[in-house]
Amino acid sequence: MGSGGAFPAQKRSSGVLPMVNGGARGRAAPLLPRGRQIHKTFHNVKITILCGFVTILVLRGTIGIGSLVTSEADAENQHLIEETNRIIAEIRSDRDPSDPDEGPERFLGLNDTFSLGPRISNWDEDRKVWLEKNPRFPSYVNGKPRILLVTGSQPTPCDNAIGDHYLLKALKNKIDYCRIHGIEIMYNMAHLDKEMTGYWAKLPLLRRLMLSHPEVEWIWWMDSDALFTDMVFEIPVSKYKDYNMVIHGYPDLLFEQKSWISLNTGSFLFRNCQWSLDLMDAWAPMGPKGPLREEAGKILTANLKGRPAFEADDQSALIYLFLSQKEQWMSKVYVENSFYLHGFWEGLVDQYEEMIEKYHPGLGDARWPFVTHFVGCKPCGSYGDYPVERCLKSMERAFNFADNQVLNLYGFRHRGLASPNIKRIRNETVAPLVNVDQFDIRHAARHTTEPQS
Amino acid sequence: MLDRVLGPLNARRLHRVFRKAKLTVLCLFLTLIVLRANIGAGKFGTPEKDLDEIRETFSHIRNRAEPRRVLEEVAELKSSGDADAGSKNYADFDIKKILKDEDDGFPEFKRDPSQPYSLGPKISDWNEQRSEWLKNNPDYPNFVAENKPRVLLVTGSSPKPCENPVGDHYLLKSIKNKIDYSRLHGIEIFYNMALLDAEMAGFWAKLPLIRQLLLSHPEVEFLWWMDSDAMFTDMAYEVPWERYKDHNFVMHGWNEMIYDEKNWIGLNTGSFLLRNCQWSLDILDTWAPMGPKGKIREDAGKILTRELKGRPVFEADDQSAMVYILATEKEKWGEKVYLENHYYLHGYWGILVDKYEQMIESYHPGFGDHRWPLVTHFVGCKPCGKFGDYPVERCLKQMDRAFNFGDNQILQMYGFTHKSLASRKVVRIRNETSKPLEVRDELGLLHPSFKAVKTGSS
Repeated sequence: MGSGGAFPAQKRSSGVLPMVNGGARGRAAPLLPRGRQIHKTFHNVKITILCGFVTILVLRGTIGIGSLVTSEADAENQHLIEETNRIIAEIRSDRDPSDPDEGPERFLGLNDTFSLGPRISNWDEDRKVWLEKNPRFPSYVNGKPRILLVTGSQPTPCDNAIGDHYLLKALKNKIDYCRIHGIEIMYNMAHLDKEMTGYWAKLPLLRRLMLSHPEVEWIWWMDSDALFTDMVFEIPVSKYKDYNMVIHGYPDLLFEQKSWISLNTGSFLFRNCQWSLDLMDAWAPMGPKGPLREEAGKILTANLKGRPAFEADDQSALIYLFLSQKEQWMSKVYVENSFYLHGFWEGLVDQYEEMIEKYHPGLGDARWPFVTHFVGCKPCGSYGDYPVERCLKSMERAFNFADNQVLNLYGFRHRGLASPNIKRIRNETVAPLVNVDQFDIRHAARHTTEPQS
Repeated sequence: MLDRVLGPLNARRLHRVFRKAKLTVLCLFLTLIVLRANIGAGKFGTPEKDLDEIRETFSHIRNRAEPRRVLEEVAELKSSGDADAGSKNYADFDIKKILKDEDDGFPEFKRDPSQPYSLGPKISDWNEQRSEWLKNNPDYPNFVAENKPRVLLVTGSSPKPCENPVGDHYLLKSIKNKIDYSRLHGIEIFYNMALLDAEMAGFWAKLPLIRQLLLSHPEVEFLWWMDSDAMFTDMAYEVPWERYKDHNFVMHGWNEMIYDEKNWIGLNTGSFLLRNCQWSLDILDTWAPMGPKGKIREDAGKILTRELKGRPVFEADDQSAMVYILATEKEKWGEKVYLENHYYLHGYWGILVDKYEQMIESYHPGFGDHRWPLVTHFVGCKPCGKFGDYPVERCLKQMDRAFNFGDNQILQMYGFTHKSLASRKVVRIRNETSKPLEVRDELGLLHPSFKAVKTGSS
């Protein structure tokens, strides 16, 4: 590099040497006097320092002090993501910041008796009196009995985000059906009873709702993993005027085979009456968490066909109750299988395209199932009994199959059963009410005769 | 060698000149670099940007290799694929694997793209059409009780899972909250999960939906749009329908802020009431033109930022557009628009959520205003997306509190309450009795007057 520029005098004095950039070059050195040598050294050092300084300045301007790899923005991003994950983990855990551990759990012992509440024995009369006193809350509206659909899920987020997404879609599905058919919905997210947890949580909830809402004639429990797939079909309540409970199942499986899946408590109705209160009191004892439930589970496995060994569940307990106290209960229980009040998903979800081609909504049975129930999929947990892809794909298809029936009124349809996107299938007009009369399920239903039982 | 050509003295002089020139050029070059490093060179950017570009190029080269590597990995997965397809673990499942468009044979009707955007064919006699229909359908009256119109609450969210892993959980809680309020007040709900018009995506998606619902549900007298991030916090408050008998559009806002100041947050379109009538169809048609995605929305955004007070620079949104319409066409629309601020038809969460405990102590449900807000609206939180305008922790924790604040009013009907506003656990506040019908809930929400049916309709 140019060192000669600063010391032209020196160069001139060593002009005898035929060099272009003379002065500091090695060959000249041994011939120079001492002083000049030192000067040259200083000169070099100065240049070096100057260059070094400039280099640092330039580098600082370009890359900056600090890490060479990540920029500040990246670090902030990383911090945000970590913070979000921490908060989400905290929300997901059941741990309550305001409610530290209440000490070890105490379960009911085998000799303790459990009751859902103080015994009520006059419910039918009390209810009748209340209804007479409150004519603005009748139990029959527009000729139809008042029905309350009850469903729910856990108060904490699901183990995986996809679980909450399908809970949301299933709830939308129920909202749609209930809006079309004038049914009220109650979505529960609270654990009302510490002992009746899990699938047993529905019992205290249903009892509480019955007693608080005497104007409700029928209460319909539906699992969160059950979807309506026939938006037109309406439950033929007149068929059940002499019954107090409607549950999907097969009488021969129940009485002859004593199968633990002969009835399904994922979707059933019961009347708001004394009989139902008595049934729940008789049903509840196998429920309380702990040794009671464990022991009960053993009895159930021993007595019901095909039941694996696990703690007592509400479905097996009900079946066992009906089998052991047949005369007391069965006269008022309608075991329904002429339509899919509960339809096991595996055999149904692949037929949707065929159904669309051959049949139409309103049938409610194997040709166009009323309810498709995703038993065993458990999308809110971490693991299901079936492959995840099959479950979620089928749930999406069932949801869209039903949603098409709702969107039909508005002139839209999904782009295939696996798609969240929709397309327009009917042009808009300046006389939209013609379409409303034709396509609104409520108005169309008015013109058809009541479905045969 | 130059010596031989020019002579020793001249050669030396030339050398000197060369040397100086070299030094000058070098110093100039260094100066430029230093200056550029500190100040930058305008559109040529700073060296930092250069470095980024260089890094990008290298990473791009790396990325080109990356897809190939990813594909190979996927191919590997597929071959050992059956094991994965059979996985029963929900943790690693990618929903995109199963969501896909298919052609099911139903013909699609598309809007003519050469025509200017419109929500649909112009209808001019909607009032007449509708009253004729109502006459012919006495089973679907537009008033369900004395002074109580039939109301349809409309809300919605995306049909695809939220980007934020707990977003769907908060959407679920939010819709449960709306279901509870609506059940108590005899209101119907429509939860939308369909994008009716791709051009009106984002905040504008509600316009085609609202028009479609108005036309398809002539029995509905008022349509109540509510954002998915808004929650009911006063379960006992009934909207004063009588107040709006001469109005068609009710929004939370202040007249001065719209008509005098043209303030872009002078009203809120996250929670509003719209009557089902010709006037509403007309205002929807006037509202829509700023919405179509792309250049139209961008340009409209610039106009709105220029014309409205305090509006930042971003594409046109439905709220600013409505402010603009009302401020500039007051004579045409103002008479039928009611800007309500006597209760929180929309309540900005920032000023409400910390006061819940105070409210519980000093007041009771039924006020609907600052003492006990009807709606707490979590504007800016965006729980379904990855990043909102506020810290995640504050948003989610406060949404939990608002939810519990509202839920307590529902649970008290049944004798329960949340342990605290932050807790998911519930505790009993009333023992079970053998005479349940003699017990009345404190707020009278079990059988409220606003839920009662018209007498003589059983």
